[in-house]
Amino acid sequence: MASFAAACRVSARLATRRLQQDVTVKSFRTSAAALAAQNFTMPALSPTMTEGNIASWKIKEGEKFQAGDVLLEIETDKATMDVEAQEDGIMMKIMHGDGSKSVQVGTRIAVVAEEGDDISALEIPADEVSAQPTKAAEAPDTYTPAPPNPSEPAEPPKSDSTPKAAVKPGHKTTHRTYPLYPSVEHLLKVNGLDKSEAKKITPTGPNGRLLKGDVLAYLGKIKADIPAKIESRFEKQSHLDLSNIKVAAAKPAPVGKSAKEAAPAPPPAPVKATVTLPVSLSAVLQAQKKINDSLGIFLPISTFIARATDLANDELPVPKGYQPTADELFNQVLGLDKAHSGAKVSRGAYVPQVGSLTPKGAVLPRPTAAPAKKKDIFDILAASPSPKPKATASKLSPGLSAVGPNVFSLQVPRDEEKRAKIFLERVKLVLENEPGRLVL
Amino acid sequence: MLSQRLLLGRTAVRSALKPSGSPIALASRWSRTYASQSEEKDLVIIGGGVAGYVAAIKAGQEGMKVACIEKRGTLGGTCLNVGCIPSKSLLNNSHLYHQILHDTKHRGIEVGDVKLNLQQLMKAKETSVTGLTKGVEFLLKKNGVEYIKGTGSFQDEHTVKVELNDGGETSVTGKNILIATGSEVTPFPGLTIDEQTVISSTGAIALEKVPEKLVVIGGGIIGLEMASVWSRLGSKVTVVEYLDQIGGPGMDTEVAKGIQKILKKQGITFKTGTKVLSGEKTGDEVKVQTEAAKGGKEETLDADVVLVAIGRRPYTGGLGLENIGLELDERGRVIIDAEYRTKIPHIRCVGDATFGPMLAHKAEEEAVAVVEYIKKGYGHVNYGCIPSVMYTFPEVAWVGQSEQDLKKADIPYRVGTFPFSANSRAKTNLDTEGFVKILADPETDRLLGIHIIGPNAGEMIAEGTLALEYGASSEDIARTCHAHPTLSEAFKEAAMATHAKAIHF
Repeated sequence: MASFAAACRVSARLATRRLQQDVTVKSFRTSAAALAAQNFTMPALSPTMTEGNIASWKIKEGEKFQAGDVLLEIETDKATMDVEAQEDGIMMKIMHGDGSKSVQVGTRIAVVAEEGDDISALEIPADEVSAQPTKAAEAPDTYTPAPPNPSEPAEPPKSDSTPKAAVKPGHKTTHRTYPLYPSVEHLLKVNGLDKSEAKKITPTGPNGRLLKGDVLAYLGKIKADIPAKIESRFEKQSHLDLSNIKVAAAKPAPVGKSAKEAAPAPPPAPVKATVTLPVSLSAVLQAQKKINDSLGIFLPISTFIARATDLANDELPVPKGYQPTADELFNQVLGLDKAHSGAKVSRGAYVPQVGSLTPKGAVLPRPTAAPAKKKDIFDILAASPSPKPKATASKLSPGLSAVGPNVFSLQVPRDEEKRAKIFLERVKLVLENEPGRLVL
Repeated sequence: MLSQRLLLGRTAVRSALKPSGSPIALASRWSRTYASQSEEKDLVIIGGGVAGYVAAIKAGQEGMKVACIEKRGTLGGTCLNVGCIPSKSLLNNSHLYHQILHDTKHRGIEVGDVKLNLQQLMKAKETSVTGLTKGVEFLLKKNGVEYIKGTGSFQDEHTVKVELNDGGETSVTGKNILIATGSEVTPFPGLTIDEQTVISSTGAIALEKVPEKLVVIGGGIIGLEMASVWSRLGSKVTVVEYLDQIGGPGMDTEVAKGIQKILKKQGITFKTGTKVLSGEKTGDEVKVQTEAAKGGKEETLDADVVLVAIGRRPYTGGLGLENIGLELDERGRVIIDAEYRTKIPHIRCVGDATFGPMLAHKAEEEAVAVVEYIKKGYGHVNYGCIPSVMYTFPEVAWVGQSEQDLKKADIPYRVGTFPFSANSRAKTNLDTEGFVKILADPETDRLLGIHIIGPNAGEMIAEGTLALEYGASSEDIARTCHAHPTLSEAFKEAAMATHAKAIHF
């Protein structure tokens, strides 16, 4: 039910002022249809408003609206005001169309449904508020009027079709889910009022909160109009005073929806690119042989490649879409990153895929499905082994050619192509020039 | 063993790589700092002060593409760099110094040779400022905001040209543009601020030695805070205020009188209702000519340093507003509507550059609201519920309306006060100066204003602000349990005194 109250709330914008009003509709029906469709009544846009003309509906029957959309324009004796939707919904039926004159506050003017409802399947709820204005005092017994309120002749007298519905002569919601203020609870108890009685009291607090003064007014201990008067004073104070600007400048027309930004489209998934580079391993084989001869230790080629990979991954230029970690960001802010390197760099996590060139020269390197992936905290905590050396060691032997040039390849997101190329060039440089230094 | 060897090997090879280093050279060529022409932003913010950076972070969180232009070189604006933050550092540490010098002895703590190291005091301030401005920069990065160091000016309605601090020029285009350029010190006609002998608040937080005689023109919050700092550090301070009360026009008169008495006891001389006619620099000295505001009674004040603290004014210089036809009001404020739009609807303005009180927390609220207006079509700031704090000792804080406001508007009210001298915690702290004053509607008991002088009043006002925001009555506060023994009990007792009677007074 809470969402009903919210769904039926409208706010009005009058020049720079913004008044929040709650429509006094409430349905206690239990059918699903009644739960979804809600009466939308003529809002009181100012404490003194009794009736208004409907200038035009901005949302037509069957149209969807979003919170903040202008539903309709209402003309009063003072001004024309927009009524905005507080929640998303669908306009199910308009009862009083464009140009309706002298519509009493509280009269049902439309029926709205919640977003996603099939409005053709919904039944229109009964009009809970009789359109016939009667004096508050003459209302049926089921409805307890608040004390007469001289400053607010605006308050539309209403009668109730459902016995349990709590319709107030005020303009604020009566559906309160928050706890009562200590002073309010105390006053109710002291005066022998039930908590349910609190629902009958017109609240004047922020967002329809029931205040001590409201209860005092309800009990007749203070003049009934005082809480509302104070409320309007607070309302005025809550805005910047822009009424007395000295340089005349034309006010921009309200832009409404046009000022709203469409949510940015999610970035397209990066397309994969394959980077390859032929690398001769002859220098590595020489070094391997030399070490074996002189030290009697046989080092597999995979060791050389793993170490070259490890080295080449160091300080790679960052790819375009790179998301730095919080630590890296903070180091950047503190200038620590610049202290050891001028360029924007980060450590890569590339593992090259090695394939041998067949004599015919037909290259078909198998791409790995492991592009550079950002390590997250779980990887670190779980101490899952770094993929580089292992993957390289286990996978490369089948495709390795001891004589001809081998092809090192990497599959990376498109915007990392350059980074990957630099990585491969480094691997090549290290393996072809001085592979011995990798292990000694 | 192996890893060690590997490490050695790596270093060796890296050095081997460098001379031939084609990959390295390629790397540095590849990474550039700023793209000269980036794509259109959802929001371009001119100004990285409290309004600007908060809007930038909020917009970043909302998934917008944001650029924030700031020329200072550090973020945080006046507040973080030369305002609220550094002054609080000086206030806190100078209070500590003053307390050790004059107050700890009768508490039973005898300290030997107490010496002031002004350089270290300033260094402590710098550390706080640097930490916070870097923190803001980190937050911008974290939220994907492009931070452009340079001076922005409107080229057209959608394009902001930026003269980069590092040289060169770039431009950014935005669907929305936010002016958050803040404010600057209002100069005093006839006294040129050199930040050495004639200083603004900026110079007042960076003096190299404690001046013997300091004259403060303007007895508002900034003036009184700086007067406190230098008076504690040993200056002979005279505050000249044009109005009859200190603390600025927003401060409750009773509170203003109370704090003036306390500050006078601390050694600050006040000349209220006094007009400064002129100032004359002669060598290292400044002579300040004053007369009574109502005429007559002239006087000359000698000073080593004169602090001009008569207020701040909106700063929109060099922004190129004329290029897009935006007008300012007579006090230089950017003209906006209730949704912070200028007459060009996609250009908005918040913070000190436009209407409302010049407070960092007000700017911050507006910054969030303006992003919500852009993104969601609705935002909210309750201007009737913005607290003010003066960080003297004791502190002064208030929210809502003052007694003179209510009198002037012919609004009935009831007053409840409670002195800290009747509060147990204040007694044990031996800090019993000040009181809590609560103003409420006489019939409904709804809170209208809260005014506090007292230790930690700036923290205590949060409770009052919350109560006011919720439309609470003084009884609501009185019926809420407050821990014992705390200073906050004075707040509760004042609330009791408003609608009934205080227990402990």
